[in-house]
Amino acid sequence: MSARPVDGDDGAMGALLEFDHLRVEVPTPVGPRPVLRSVSLSLFAGEAVGLVGESGSGKSMTARSVLGMLPGAATIGGAVRFRGTDISTLDATGLRRLRSRDVAMVFQDPRATVNPVRTIGDFLTEVLRERGMSRSAAVAVGAGILADIGVDDVPRRLKQRPYELSGGLLQRVVIAAALAGEPALILADEPTTALDVTTQEEVVAILDEQRRQRGTALLFISHDLELATAVCDRIAVMYAGEIVEILPAKSLHEDARHPYTKALLRARPGSVPPGERLQTVPGTPQSGIEAPSGCVFADRCPVAEADCRTTVPLLVGGVACHLEVP
Amino acid sequence: MILEVTDLRKVFRGDFVAVDGVSFAVPVGGSLAIVGESGSGKTTCARIVAGLERATSGTIQLDGLDVKSDRRARARVVQMVFQDPYQSLDRRQTVSACLDEVLAFHTGLGRAERRSRIGELLELVGLDQRHAGVLPRQLSGGQRQRVAIARALAPSPRLLILDEAVAALDVSIQAQILNLLVDARAATGVGYLFITHDLSVVRHVCDEVIVMRRGRVVESGAVEKVLDAPTADYTKKLVGSIPRPGWVPARGGTRA
Repeated sequence: MSARPVDGDDGAMGALLEFDHLRVEVPTPVGPRPVLRSVSLSLFAGEAVGLVGESGSGKSMTARSVLGMLPGAATIGGAVRFRGTDISTLDATGLRRLRSRDVAMVFQDPRATVNPVRTIGDFLTEVLRERGMSRSAAVAVGAGILADIGVDDVPRRLKQRPYELSGGLLQRVVIAAALAGEPALILADEPTTALDVTTQEEVVAILDEQRRQRGTALLFISHDLELATAVCDRIAVMYAGEIVEILPAKSLHEDARHPYTKALLRARPGSVPPGERLQTVPGTPQSGIEAPSGCVFADRCPVAEADCRTTVPLLVGGVACHLEVP
Repeated sequence: MILEVTDLRKVFRGDFVAVDGVSFAVPVGGSLAIVGESGSGKTTCARIVAGLERATSGTIQLDGLDVKSDRRARARVVQMVFQDPYQSLDRRQTVSACLDEVLAFHTGLGRAERRSRIGELLELVGLDQRHAGVLPRQLSGGQRQRVAIARALAPSPRLLILDEAVAALDVSIQAQILNLLVDARAATGVGYLFITHDLSVVRHVCDEVIVMRRGRVVESGAVEKVLDAPTADYTKKLVGSIPRPGWVPARGGTRA
């Protein structure tokens, strides 16, 4: 594992991926509103960072910004840098190279990812063939990875089409295709949410093992804190388009300081003895568009003070909260 | 017992056995979970109990009622809440009209009585009069699920079937709905048949659990017994797959 700073907000020399005060605004009837407010986070080679939070928190938007896949009408402030290069400065060729070589993305629904009328073999070797590898060499690489991640009967699988495979098996194929390109970074957006828990365990174990073997960095998006904690080195908690807290995965349960992180941890049914009331946060999760202009969590925060509504707290020492002064 | 299912069997299209000799029971005011992964047959069981699917064989006793005879009588005993309130609510019907329709159909209440009953139901699920006149699209996902629960409770059923009713909700909203379900059961004495894949939810709201796999029951018993000391290999694997503090995902899912 490479050296990494305590916080992701300090801007970092030598980061593989760096979000630098990334702000994304989309047009609404009342004018441009932010979906991402100011996201700063650095990811180092071989490191796994979990982005966790509820719907509308901006997790997927953050990941998509790496590939330049933001809504067309969006205005973008700040920067996303991959190996030091601002992604917004890439031309079509550069973006194509980034998407096919450097960064791979795994989405929630494998069936929406894989071309339903092509064979598994075609899908798996597409990126390698595109780079000029011969068909037989590409098939050999693809088959090798499938075997590595525990898919049996590989020759038959390569000839099958997506509808012939279960969701869990198909997601393994998608991960194999992501690995085949030997990317430096994998963006995984809820990659196991559509899968059964036993399959989920298998798939995250594969992701983890391959990442370690290959030294690939991983940005893992999940609404499941426990799952992200098991897979990642650091956890960044997002709410309403902001990272409100970032901390080592190991110490999430003990050291969480932001009221939202604490609330998320307490809201899980397993957090209290059966039958006892779960502690809830009043209201519903907000997106960056709806959140108040000071601290994004101020409307729902149990300990908010007047200051919280007017002044944006900075992410200092891993937490963005006025009441957590280091 | 409010529900007694004996030797239930469901065969689809002549040869696919979705449910294969399953028996379970829910005591009056009790709470039974059916857990299992996709394709285990848990939803098919729920749909048969609700009358949305016909069993190939087996018997279902609902509050001593002969379930085959009268659909309306059955609906007064058992109601269902689905996973996705976006789909299960009529998007052109206001919240109060949605509840009023069910009350008018199932109860002999007059207009004024129905109005006050709507107020009670909204209060029971943590909504108020402000929400009565709005359409589903004006509500958040959690609020819509509250409406779906209020609608299911409207005929004062003895049993509520909840088919992955909290699975699509954000964690903070899921917690609110789970508290609501605990409260509603205490307040009305309604029993729950809880279909879910989420074992931590089971632990929180259920007394008994059956674990299904490929149409069969592999283990059953009190929740703490089955989840804390599972005996069937499959239950061990299922319990071991749940992410939790200190959990390390393993290939092959072999760890208990």
